[in-house]
Formats: sequence, structure tokens, C-alpha cells
Amino acid sequence: MKARTMRWLLSAGVAGIALAGPAGVAQALESRSYVVSYFSQQLNSREGDCPGGVNPDDQAGQNAVILENLGYKPDEVKAMMAEWAKGGDGEQRIEAIINARAVIDGQQVNAYTHPEATKDPGLKQITSKVGYGFNLDGKDNEVAFVDPQTGEKGVDNQLSRAIGCNQNFRGSWDAPSAYGEWIWVQLKDSQPAWLITISGEDIDKDGPVTVRLTRALEYLKSNGDGSPRHFMTYRVDPDPRSHNEFKGEIKDGQITISEHKPLSILWNALSSPVLNLKNTHLRLRMLKGDTLDGLLGGYQPWTEIYFAFSHNGIVGDRPGLYWAMKKTADADPDPVTKQNMSISTAYRITAVPAFVVDAPQLRYQSAEVK
Amino acid sequence: MGMIAMQATKRSLFKALTTSCVIGLLAGCAPASDTAPAAKASAPTGTVSAAADFVPAVAAAPRLTPAQYRATVTDIFGPTIDLGGRFEPDMRIEGLLAIGSASVGVTPAGMEQYDTMADTIAAQVVLNPKNRAMMIPCKPAAENAPDDACAKMFLTNVGRLMFRRPMTNAEVTAYVSAANVAATKVGNFHEGLAMSLSAMLSSPQFLFRAPSTIKVKGQLELDAYSKASQLSFFLWNAGPDLQLLNAAQKGDLNTAKGLENQVTRMMASPRVEAGVRAFFADMFHFDDFESLRKDNLIYPMFSRQEARDAQEQTMRTLVDLLVTNRGDYRDIFVTKKTFLTPALGAIYRVPVVNDRPNGAVDPWQSYEFDASDPRGGILTHASFAALHSPANRSSATTRGKAIREVLLCQKVPAPPANVDFTLVNDTTIHKTARERLSAHVQNPVCAGCHKITDPMGLALENFDGAGAYRTEENGEKIDASGTLDGKTFSNPYELGQALKSSPAATSCLVDRLSAYALGRKPARGETPWIAKLKADFAARGYVVPDLMKTIATSPEFYRTAPIEAVQTASAQ
Repeated sequence: MKARTMRWLLSAGVAGIALAGPAGVAQALESRSYVVSYFSQQLNSREGDCPGGVNPDDQAGQNAVILENLGYKPDEVKAMMAEWAKGGDGEQRIEAIINARAVIDGQQVNAYTHPEATKDPGLKQITSKVGYGFNLDGKDNEVAFVDPQTGEKGVDNQLSRAIGCNQNFRGSWDAPSAYGEWIWVQLKDSQPAWLITISGEDIDKDGPVTVRLTRALEYLKSNGDGSPRHFMTYRVDPDPRSHNEFKGEIKDGQITISEHKPLSILWNALSSPVLNLKNTHLRLRMLKGDTLDGLLGGYQPWTEIYFAFSHNGIVGDRPGLYWAMKKTADADPDPVTKQNMSISTAYRITAVPAFVVDAPQLRYQSAEVK
Repeated sequence: MGMIAMQATKRSLFKALTTSCVIGLLAGCAPASDTAPAAKASAPTGTVSAAADFVPAVAAAPRLTPAQYRATVTDIFGPTIDLGGRFEPDMRIEGLLAIGSASVGVTPAGMEQYDTMADTIAAQVVLNPKNRAMMIPCKPAAENAPDDACAKMFLTNVGRLMFRRPMTNAEVTAYVSAANVAATKVGNFHEGLAMSLSAMLSSPQFLFRAPSTIKVKGQLELDAYSKASQLSFFLWNAGPDLQLLNAAQKGDLNTAKGLENQVTRMMASPRVEAGVRAFFADMFHFDDFESLRKDNLIYPMFSRQEARDAQEQTMRTLVDLLVTNRGDYRDIFVTKKTFLTPALGAIYRVPVVNDRPNGAVDPWQSYEFDASDPRGGILTHASFAALHSPANRSSATTRGKAIREVLLCQKVPAPPANVDFTLVNDTTIHKTARERLSAHVQNPVCAGCHKITDPMGLALENFDGAGAYRTEENGEKIDASGTLDGKTFSNPYELGQALKSSPAATSCLVDRLSAYALGRKPARGETPWIAKLKADFAARGYVVPDLMKTIATSPEFYRTAPIEAVQTASAQ
């Protein structure tokens, strides 16, 4: 074993001790820790996977479609878009029409806050049968994908189907989507980092492991060229809301979890205040250079995803995405309406080696109020 | 008034005050007879005599270094004063900028910068109403007219600290008159005063530490104020404080007891850390960090911030070992104790927790490398590895040369102009530096020098060009064995142990520290004193502050030769 790896292992043993307190687990013989260096929805865009092409990929095109859906005639739309294109007051007038296209009790209201009060524009959805993710329900059906990496059938990733025909989200394993790149750049410097600790008897061999996913007190540290810095030290946030632990295994250099319980970790208002997943699945390949690369998946409340898209102001028909997700949601039916409230997702997750230690609990000790 | 008229007045004042001074700078600018109040020039009583075979050299007249200029301004006017200018680069001679600073003048461009800074400082001190209220001890009778009494009070107060001696009567008269003329022209007392202060800040009396001498029992030595200056810049890297100037005025520095008292006081001050830092920054060439660049495609972790952290790590290690704990100088080559930031921890691959809140200014943590860790001693710090490597790779030769020249005070000849580096740079044939250098030294022209640098430098090949530890280079295992003056070692830490036991290392420290203190290389006639310092350093367990104290209390430290000695030597 290389000397540097040995030191990392020895030092990373601290993480086992650190987490024994808040997470209540036994100390592992060996631990390796990582800091998440990329996290965003994983798509598998391919030529021809959107019937008739993608949804209009620019704001002007999208606005024109929205105006048409609002009932304006083609000539009117053309004139309105010409006015919009000039900028200034004209642009603001058209934007106001578009923004207030939701209607409640006969009153125009903000469409992004009240997407349910807009008309479903019927955005195109992915028709491909190949997509990344996990078979969450153990079944195969007509909307499931086949994972191109694992060959697994019945893969549930309805989020990619719902949003995949929007230009912002088009991407592949090797070329992340524009939205994915953009949101990660925003997130990494504006939220405490996420940490992964793998503990087991011998992490270089196949066998059972414990996987912990927690949040740090520090932000991800980047190098001068923007790349994530390896071997930085992070403290685990003692906030129990971000403590997650799963039983798993290493097989052929891949870490998976066998315990598919819910995951909850504090995130960022830019995406969602909390990442909530049910039926959590994870696969991480241990790569050269001690890095991890893989997917985190599960069922996620789709309204939380919508409001992240909505207030990020992404290009496209945002209320349209609301409808797309609502229609493709595939889990957690509401007992009354039967509407599925969660959608299957798969997030690309990469991580680089880090030292992880416990943080003092001082943050949660408060002076006695008399 | 115009700015032009102000500048013209300032220039004529500057010229009038400096003509005689600049010419005779080395001989001193402040004859005691014209000094008010005069330092006691009586024959020193109780001063320990220098060794009989000691022959002094001419005292140096160094230009203030940027750090000394900054420290002086801070001491006199406070830390909020912005200098508003840049300094001309210093020059390294005999391994030290401190020696070079006594060989530099001021170019026209440099003078412009000094002038700009002087104007900027004076404006902040005198024209800013808030600062003025704190720094000027009097109010003029009228704001729109000269007030010689008030101007004199202010200028003589600050002048004593700026010139590191009381101003002469001629100087007081000239600067007060200048303030008067300028205030009359512009109809503003404070603008006139600012002009005069600016002229003082641009004067050679401030910018250069010109020694004044007296003859005592037929031997030439620094006068009390020059002693104070030499002492203060050596121990604190700053000008003398009021206590030291008062001691000089009373003649205390001319007695062994009085000198000892002041040196003891100064050594006990926290300001001695600044002095120690300044010396080691000079000795270890830390000024080169200013121009250090790494290819961030190869070393993405090493940015300007990590470069700053790396030198600060070494500096904190030295201060902690040598000053705080009064440790053995030789331990700098093997100590496992250091200080790290989280960013350095990433380079060293060790956990460094910053317990302070996000954004806290001071992220430093004390850290002790494990006994099994290959790091220990300053040679294994990122500062040494990175500073003595090119931008894109490590260099066993450069590192070996640095050990010889910086740490052992030995000279390594420069490579021939037509040296062929092809084999050294080509990693396709020979994977490791050892293999490449082995091929390179087949050329007998190169072999001689590489023989003295490479065996040590190759021991540091476990550290890449940015200081990260590695066991392989281009897939080949690194062999870090070598020899130093007959001692063999197999890894970087053992190289540190070999240096620790090398008499050349401690001898070098004494040579460098004494030269740094004097501002010049000790002359041949001063060899007996240096030998005595070395013996004393060893006898006292290689404690650097003790060596500093020994130098500072040595009569030899203040002895000088007449300027004619240099002129005669030059003529010959």
C-alpha cells in the first residue's frame, strides 16, 4: 500500500470516531473519506430522443410558444415578440403578460409561484429507452430505462424523462448539462460541502462496508484552476438532519448500498433547502487517484425540484416543467387525490479524497434561559 | 499654491539639507556639536574592550529595507498610514539583502517613489484632521498662517524618531523655515507643515542609516545614536524607540552595563520576533517567493496563497523553536513540530482542522508530524521544496545548491553558459531525476558541480515541485539516498539529521547573522570576533537569541574604521 494512502487511512480513521457520537455507530477498522466534488441530475441525451426536436431552446422561442398557448394569434405573437426583442418597456410589458399567465379566481397571478394555475403547455418528454439510474421499484415497465453502464433494466429516472427535452438539461455522462454545470458552480461556493465516509474491514477488498453521507461545516475547497482540492480537512456538521448512514458493500471496486432507507441532507436554497430521497440507491466506482464517481438516486418530492427550477430562472417554460414532472411522477401517491408526489431521480455524484473529523457540539449548546 | 510651487520648495530644501550629507554619508551627517541635545560623548566607562587582534572595518550605511521603512512609519505615525508607493528592489550580496542594502543608492525612479510615499504619508499625518489631532501636539495660532513654535515642536518630535537621533540645529531651522515659507505661500499652516514633513521623509537622513562615529581612546566606534540604530534594526528590524534613544542620549549605550540593560529589554520584547523573522527571511531568500510561480496545470494546489502559507509555516516553526522555546538551532533540520493551515494540510496530506468560524483570519494550527511521517525539519517544508524548484518540476540540483549556499554558506559555481539541459528535461528516456542527472553528468564540464549539489538534492526528490510527498516519479520508485560530507542517508529526514550534525550549518548561521547585524560581510580583521561568536554559540547550546544577545553586547559590533581606510584600499 502506498505510504500516502496509509496516512490517509490512518488519519481518516478519525472519521469513524467522529461519527460514532452523532451517528451512533461502532468504530470501523478502516475508513476513507471524501468530499463531494460534483452533484447534479444525470441525463442521457441522445439524438432523436425528443419527438420532433427539443422544446424551444431559447427564451424568445419559448416565449412565443407560451403566448400561443395563452391564445394569441400568430400575427399577434409575432408583433409581441418583436416588441419583446427591442427591450425596454416593450420587453417588460410582454414579460409581465408571460409572468402573470396563471389565473386564480379570475385574477392573474404569478405563474412561477402558482404553476398549478397555468395551462399545461404539454412539453415534450424523453422517449428513449436508455437512461442512467436505478431500478427503484424492482419492476420493469414501458417508461423504465436500461442503464447504459450496468445494463440494468427497469431503471426509474422519470425526472430525466420529464425535463430531458429542455435544452438546459440536455447532457450525457461525459458532457454534463448546462444547468448541471451552472447549478454546481453556484452551489459549491455557497453551501457547506457534503462528505462521504466509507468504513469497512479492508476497503481495498470486496466486502461489507458502511457508507455515511454527511454535511461539513466548511465549503468545498477549490484549487486555483477551479478543480476540487484533494485531502482538505472538513468537520462534520453536528446537525443530525444531515447524518445518513447506510449498510453497503464493495464489489469489484464499486461501492453500493444495500439498505434503501430515506436520505436527508441539508442543501441550498438555490436547489432545495433539503435533499430528501426515499428508497435511496447509491453506486460509486473507486477510481484512480482515490476519487469516487457514480450515482445517487431515489424518489424525490417533485415540487421541491420544481421550486428550485422556478426561482433559479432557468430558460424555458418553468410551469411547463411543473406539469411535466407532475405527469411523470411515479411514487408516493397522495391518499386522497392519488397524485404521485415523488419522482424517480438519479444524480451524478463525484468525490475527491478528504480528511473528515468531528466538529464540536458547541453550536447546539445554548445558554440556559431564565 | 500650487503643487508645483510646493514641490519646488521641497526640492530646494531637500537640496540644501542634503548636499553636504550625501557626500559624507558614510562618515555621518550629524556632527555632535550641532546636535541638540547632544548625546554624551564622554569616553565609555565599563565597556568591554574588543579582542586585541581585532581590526574593524568601515561601518555600513544601509538603505532602509521596505520592511524597515514600513516599521518606522508605523512606529511613528501608527499602523493605519498607507505608504502609497513601491520600493526599488533590494540587492543580494554574499547571500544577504542586508549586505546589499548597504551597496545600493537611489535611482531617479526610486526617488520618485520615495517622494510619492513621502507626500502620501505626510498628507495622511498632517492634513487628515483625525490623525492630526492625535499626532501633532499643538495647535497653530492661526490656521492660515505659519506658526514656527508649533511646527518646531512637531518636527523635532518626529524628526528624532525619523532620523534616529535629535535633529541638528541647522536641520530644525531649515525644516521649520520651509514649513513657514510653504504655509505663507498657501495660506495654510498644515499644508506647509506637510510639505516639510514630506521633505524629511525623502531625506537621506531618514532613508539611509548613516553611522556617526566618535573616537574613544584612539579607537573609532559608532556614537551612541548610531549604536542605538544598529542595535534596533538588528534586534527588531525597526528604528530605535524612545527608550533606546533616551538611553543613547544619556550615554548608557557607551557602558557595558547600560548596553546590556537595553539589549536585555529589547530581547524580552515581543518585537524581537520581527527581528528574527527578518533575518531568516533574508537568509532563506524568502523574498524570492514574490516571484515564485507554479504551473497550475501541474500543481493546481499551489497558488499564491499556498506560497504565502508555506513561507509562514517555516517562519512560525523557526520562531516557535528558536525564540519561544529557545531551542537548539540544529533542530530546525529535524523538528517534527510545525504549524499548518488547512490548505497546507492538503498538500501534506494530513488533517488540519480549522476550529475557527468560516472566514476567520488566522487559520494556523500547531501540528506535529508522526514519527513515521517522512517529514521533519525545514527541508521537508513546502517552502523549501517549492522555492528551490522551477515552475513545472522538482530540481535536485537547485535544492542541493540551496542547501550548500543558503544553509552551509558554501559557494557553488554557476553552470557554464552553453550547458545542455536536454537530458535533464526529457523524462521519456530516464524516468527519475537521479537517472536523468546521472546521464547529464557524463559531461565532465557539468560533473564537478553536480557532485556537490545532487547527492543532497536527490534526497529531497520525494517532494515534488510544490512540496507534495511522492514515492514515484513517472512510475519509477524514487531513490532518496545520498551523502553529505561523508555521511550517508536514505531519505529526506536522514538528510536533515546529517545537516544537524554538520558543523558547517552552525558556522554558517553565525556568519550570516553577524553579517546581517553589521550590514556587511565581516572583514578579515574581524575574524577573531566571529570565531569567538561561534565558540560561544556552541558553548551555549546553539540558542539563537543568545547569539543575538552576544553580538548585540559585543564591543566589536560597534567598532568601525575610518572611511579613509576604504578609500585607501580602493586606491590601492
